[in-house]
Amino acid sequence: MRPAEAVPAVFILLLAAGIYLGTSGLRMWDGITPGARFFPVVLAGTGAVVGLLLLLAQWRGFETVEVEFPSALGAARVAASFAAITALAVGIPLIGFVPMLALFILTMQMVVLRCPPVPSVGSAVIVAGLVHIVFIRWLAVPLPMPYGI
Amino acid sequence: MLDQLLIGFSTALLPHNLLFIFIGVLIGQVVGALPGLGPSAGMALLLPLTFGLEPVTAIMMLAGIMYGAQYGGTLTSVLIKVPGEASGVMTAVDGNAMARNGRAGAALAISAIGSFIAGIGAVTAVALLAPPLASFGLRFNAPEYFLLALLGILAIGSLGGSPIKSLAAALIGLMIALIGVDPLTGTPRLSFNQPILMTGIDFIPVVIGVFGIAEVLASLERIESVKPIKTRLRDMWLTMDDWRKCRFSIIRGGFIGLFVGIMPGAGASIASLLSYLTERKFSKNPEAFGHGAIDGVAAAESANNAASHGAAIPMLSLGIPGSASTAILLAALILHGIRPGPQLMSQESALVWGLIASMFIGNLFLLVLNLPLAPVFAALLRIPYVYLAPAILGISLVGAYAATLDMATVWMSLAFGVLGYAMIKFDVPRPPLVLALVLASLMETSLRQALLLSFGSPMIFVERPISAILLVAVLAAIVLPIIGAVRRRRGAPQPVGLGGDE
Repeated sequence: MRPAEAVPAVFILLLAAGIYLGTSGLRMWDGITPGARFFPVVLAGTGAVVGLLLLLAQWRGFETVEVEFPSALGAARVAASFAAITALAVGIPLIGFVPMLALFILTMQMVVLRCPPVPSVGSAVIVAGLVHIVFIRWLAVPLPMPYGI
Repeated sequence: MLDQLLIGFSTALLPHNLLFIFIGVLIGQVVGALPGLGPSAGMALLLPLTFGLEPVTAIMMLAGIMYGAQYGGTLTSVLIKVPGEASGVMTAVDGNAMARNGRAGAALAISAIGSFIAGIGAVTAVALLAPPLASFGLRFNAPEYFLLALLGILAIGSLGGSPIKSLAAALIGLMIALIGVDPLTGTPRLSFNQPILMTGIDFIPVVIGVFGIAEVLASLERIESVKPIKTRLRDMWLTMDDWRKCRFSIIRGGFIGLFVGIMPGAGASIASLLSYLTERKFSKNPEAFGHGAIDGVAAAESANNAASHGAAIPMLSLGIPGSASTAILLAALILHGIRPGPQLMSQESALVWGLIASMFIGNLFLLVLNLPLAPVFAALLRIPYVYLAPAILGISLVGAYAATLDMATVWMSLAFGVLGYAMIKFDVPRPPLVLALVLASLMETSLRQALLLSFGSPMIFVERPISAILLVAVLAAIVLPIIGAVRRRRGAPQPVGLGGDE
């Protein structure tokens, strides 16, 4: 078993530990009624059992884990896309949803996905325009618009 | 039943509702045709848009996306051999083989007609079966609800893929639902004094992140340009020989799809595979399967559409979703202030029967869209995915923000996008997470109420007859996959160096 294959099991074990410790100040029982900590402890216990079973099953070969790591180019593309969408989230309150969305699409297509400039600009304008028309004009969703667009 | 169905039609046929049924099936068709975006992601992205709609209109539209995607997935399966949905794998094999033999139109036509006939049959079954099942469900109390929710979560893992990993995914969903306040006492729980966590984790950022953002990120790893096979309207006429081969395939596929769809956890993927394999056994030319068998295509497509409708039966009658898509429908009901469960059919009969009627109408819309207009939708496949992916990512965040008008939801969507991407990479199924998130409140509340009723004694789950039967089913759902795994293990040749030697 490769170390990477143990990640899901370790993750669930850590979650279980986190749930158990995070609810330590709550009561297990309120008289005859299960308290606020009852269900979390049940889940934490089950999570611990499932995590250990998964580890055991993988170690013994009962479970095969097909860990699909992308190629270097694929990983770079995914990382860049995630960085771009994070930058979109950061920029929304500063510039506004629609302008930031257009900038995001332009960046994604020209920089990350290496698309030609003219179709990239076109799709950025179309998508941002559609969002403005559908969400702001039609559905009246108050998207952040510090500069009015 | 008939008079209630007529009332449902009177609701569904209102111009406003007709428009949104059409919008829903059209979006479903497009979502199904686009690789990299499933019906669950499409429904998740559009869920925030439904807040301004009447609940019945919202549910009609979202349901249209759910079954419309089954029709749309055929296009990519047949024309570029990439299943638009997991349920389109067998269609991709035989349908694309037919397309390479110059019969793309026939493959698309039989898929549309088979899906329509099976879909209408399945909706009729929903109308016939849901009311008596709901009446039976009214006898349920807290112990039964807890075991039913538990069975739904266990079943989704036991019928396909790795049961342990499915259970792990479900546990993650249940743990996410713990954050916020205790549902019975109102005590803050796992919120760490953070205002953002005090109100709990909303369903929408989870499903947008885990399905929408994660799927697009995963699809960006490898971008391939594909050329869809051209198809023309006149190629879509079926011969008498085609009809003769397919008439019973459609009926068998419809029945198999319906029964599989009713079972929580089993979905359109299993239905289409079972139907395809069954049809191969009945076929006079089984050697043609895998090389362009039109009856194989008809069986698979009929089954997957019937299954997507059949999953509505446990959702409407018992409040237990049978698939990730119906879990999102259930969440939509809750978000619109409607309490799902057996009482839904009596308390919200206009909504339920309107939804059932809308499914008849939606299938008719889809037949019209898919027969003469299939070449138009096929043109969508020519749009390079590189132009669609950023738009889908951006609109995901718009949808997340629109849900709560709070940037915190946007950030949560991104975080769950990372989680969903990791789940894809480590081959951990995502539907159990969503299912568990929807059922978590019901599970916890029912469990604690059951123990309150019994003064803390777990024997309540055994003493009540229906509860005892459900308990046996739960135990079977736990034990049977283990027995199956052990048997497979004993039957497989032993590899050298067993026991973790690397």
